[in-house]
Amino acid sequence: MKKLLFYSTLFITLSSFAQAKFDQGMEQAFDLWKNDQPWEAANLFERISQAEKENWLPSFYVAQINVLYSFSEKNEEKLSAQLNKAQDFLNDAKSLSKDNAEILVLQAQLYTAWIVFDGAKYGMTMSPKISQLYEQAYQIEPDNPRVASGKVEWELGTARWFGKDTKPFCEDLQKAVNLFDTYEPKGKFYPNGGAEYARQSLAQNCKEE
Amino acid sequence: MKTPILFLLICLGMGTLYGQIEIYGTVTQKNGQPVLGANIYLEGTYDGASSDENGAFRFQTYETGVQTLIVSSISFETFMMAASIEQFKNLNIVLKEDVNSLDTVVISAGTFEAGDNSKVSVLKPLDVVTTASALGDFVGALQTLPGTSTVAEDGRLFVRGGDAGETQIFIDGIRVFTPYTPTTNNIPARGRYSPFLFDGITFSTGGYSAEYGQALSSVLLLNTIDEPDQEKTDISLMTVGVGLGNTQKWNNSSLSVNASYINLAPYIALFPDRNDWQKPFEAFSGESVYRRKFEKGLFKMYVAYDATNFTLTQEDINFPDGLYFKLNNDNLYTNASYFGDLGESWKLETGGSFTRAANKLGIDDSEIENVENSVQLKVKLRKRFSNRFKLNFGAEQFLTDFNEDFQNLEIPETSYGYHNNISAVFAESDLIFSRKFAAKIGLRGEYSGLFQQFSVSPRASVAYKTSNYGQLSVAFGDFYQQPFGDVLKFDQELEAQKAQHYILNYQYFHNDRIFRAEVYRKEYKNLVTYNTEFPDFSSNYNNEGFGYAQGLDLFWRDNQSIKNLDYWVSYSYLDSERKYNNYPEQVTPSFANKHNLSVVGKYWIGEWRSQVGFSYTFASGRAYTNPNMPGFLQDQTKSFNSISLNWAYLISQQKILYFSINNVLGFKNINGYQYADVPNMNGIYDRRALQPAADQFFFVGFFWTLSDDGKENQLDNL
Repeated sequence: MKKLLFYSTLFITLSSFAQAKFDQGMEQAFDLWKNDQPWEAANLFERISQAEKENWLPSFYVAQINVLYSFSEKNEEKLSAQLNKAQDFLNDAKSLSKDNAEILVLQAQLYTAWIVFDGAKYGMTMSPKISQLYEQAYQIEPDNPRVASGKVEWELGTARWFGKDTKPFCEDLQKAVNLFDTYEPKGKFYPNGGAEYARQSLAQNCKEE
Repeated sequence: MKTPILFLLICLGMGTLYGQIEIYGTVTQKNGQPVLGANIYLEGTYDGASSDENGAFRFQTYETGVQTLIVSSISFETFMMAASIEQFKNLNIVLKEDVNSLDTVVISAGTFEAGDNSKVSVLKPLDVVTTASALGDFVGALQTLPGTSTVAEDGRLFVRGGDAGETQIFIDGIRVFTPYTPTTNNIPARGRYSPFLFDGITFSTGGYSAEYGQALSSVLLLNTIDEPDQEKTDISLMTVGVGLGNTQKWNNSSLSVNASYINLAPYIALFPDRNDWQKPFEAFSGESVYRRKFEKGLFKMYVAYDATNFTLTQEDINFPDGLYFKLNNDNLYTNASYFGDLGESWKLETGGSFTRAANKLGIDDSEIENVENSVQLKVKLRKRFSNRFKLNFGAEQFLTDFNEDFQNLEIPETSYGYHNNISAVFAESDLIFSRKFAAKIGLRGEYSGLFQQFSVSPRASVAYKTSNYGQLSVAFGDFYQQPFGDVLKFDQELEAQKAQHYILNYQYFHNDRIFRAEVYRKEYKNLVTYNTEFPDFSSNYNNEGFGYAQGLDLFWRDNQSIKNLDYWVSYSYLDSERKYNNYPEQVTPSFANKHNLSVVGKYWIGEWRSQVGFSYTFASGRAYTNPNMPGFLQDQTKSFNSISLNWAYLISQQKILYFSINNVLGFKNINGYQYADVPNMNGIYDRRALQPAADQFFFVGFFWTLSDDGKENQLDNL
């Protein structure tokens, strides 16, 4: 009996070896990211994505790192190389996971990075695309805090640009912030960030007078 | 019991110890500089590392046997190497630059691009509708670019000393046979098609690709939008008419429909012009684009129909009561194209178009009715052998059938016309030797069924990067074009006209500032000549014409130096003479002005949510024939000046109010003179100045977009 138990345990251990390897790799990549080595993290995510061809998460994170670090990039050549790379990996993620709200939000952020770089050049053509993406993501997963906050942020930014009152968006922004407390990621390593940024934005845009 | 397990674990551990292999080396560029942050790994494993600031990397692996090592880095081509694992030691990997990256040289001789996709855009897609003088016409916006001549009363594109008919317009690679709306001779024609349906515009003023033929001077390429952003309804209310648009989207397909009705009657009642209108300009137009995505392809179908009519009496020095002119025009254009990926880097582009243009004209007591039916079929294949070598080749067939009926009091009904069939093949290769050096070499062969004539046109262009932001391009090519319809309908015993282009271009692009300078020489041969005042049955036609055009085009655009201001300046110097039509000698034609200058500015005022636009056009005088002096086209008009202003105000995200005024200062421009057929009592030929129908034009429009999410904004239309 004892023997049986032992071997079955060993078997389970071996069969989950691949899973453990994936977990270990992903954890290592997140650690690199936390330790301020985002490009090393991106490289590791890229390696995992090439080995795990059925999983959308590693490709998603390669794209996300390239997008996030493009917001402050001022060199057009570098920016376009990074965003093109992000788009490639995002396309890979899209083909592995259909109707995924997280991917739609990242696509919207990618377009936003272009607008942040040159609003006059990209704003007019990309802003309707972004609105559409948030709308689509919202229909798939209205309770996802990244969908809710991204959508409100975008609407708020547009309203501010048009010189309109941004107060009406505070309620939605507060709701989005609350969602971060209750939302359960759908699986291990699923996106779970953005809370800090949303809280900051709420504090900045919706100060009680 | 425990012992074997322990042993197993130890063995595994030992295996680990012995099986581990270290892979190390450096990654550099061609010039020896280290590459930082390259991703080096074994294919299909997690084992790998990033290169450090010295390009060095080092990692361990338990893999054995033959493995593939991959090195990838942004803006370099991915490196792959398959070998036995033990050989991955002390590697020196040299990465090749990725020639798809942004800083690769582009062939720019003769070409202006507009769009988000092109590396260096001279115009942005929305410039077409926000240029003050353009009045929403894409042709009007292109007239602010160098290389075009100001022929204010005509409105069409006259490029580098070429006649308007020498420019061809293509939609999704398929030719448009009748691109302009018909007008009277003192109101400029406009492009027929709505600028909102296109997201890419390439305007070539010479030396263009072998894919395009039947254009002696220039091609304008318009691409329709692949996928609309969202479902919406657009409503426009204008001082000259109304418009309605709707876009529907489904899973893999979408349909956009636009319709507009223009009637100038109220405007002319308010601001009468120099014409005596019996029936002011009225036009109905509708267009639709259907798009369907397939797994590996995209099908697009574009259909446009418009009907125009007007009747007026125009001042004429030879007719004291004026000249009666009546026009009814019906125009149908359909264009279907399919773009598909055949796999293994093969791509297919195929399409066809059908045009039916019918005119009913009444001029004085003559009645003219004509119908043109044209068909084009085209197929093109593209093979990408590598990032550095691509090949395009294809074939196309044009069929035109034209018939005209003429009758007046003296001449009974007469019918005439022509069938014009042209077959063409083309092949062109893109060669990218490095980020600094690229070439395009092509060949086009055309066979004219009408003339039983075969022509071969070589085309070549080369670009070389001279510095980080500057580059030189040269282009050369032979171009053939059939005589225009106004001659072909009377005589088909002719041959194709020929032009040769030589272009040298310098372009500097950095930090949202672009400077271009281009010098060119163009030689014309076999231009059509005739010996009567207007082409008709009695004329004697020949291909004995010739000519040249040479000049300098300068362009500067800057939206960086002054906050919220985007402006561009174009200057063209043109020296052109030709002997064609009924010219007795080689002279400068009336459409070629020596100096052309355009200044266009757009300023965004945040607090007012407004964009104000300004444009100034200057053109030196144009030639005309003064019969009171000896010679032909020997006199010159005064120069042309016009300042236009526009103001777009965003009422809210979905509503926009738009004002524009052309020629604010009311310059009295003169396009030429008409002389009496017979001299007056003193033996002098009297004359009349050819002026535009109106010196100024006002426009007020209100545009409203309705979309499902209420977020679509009118910025698109700004």
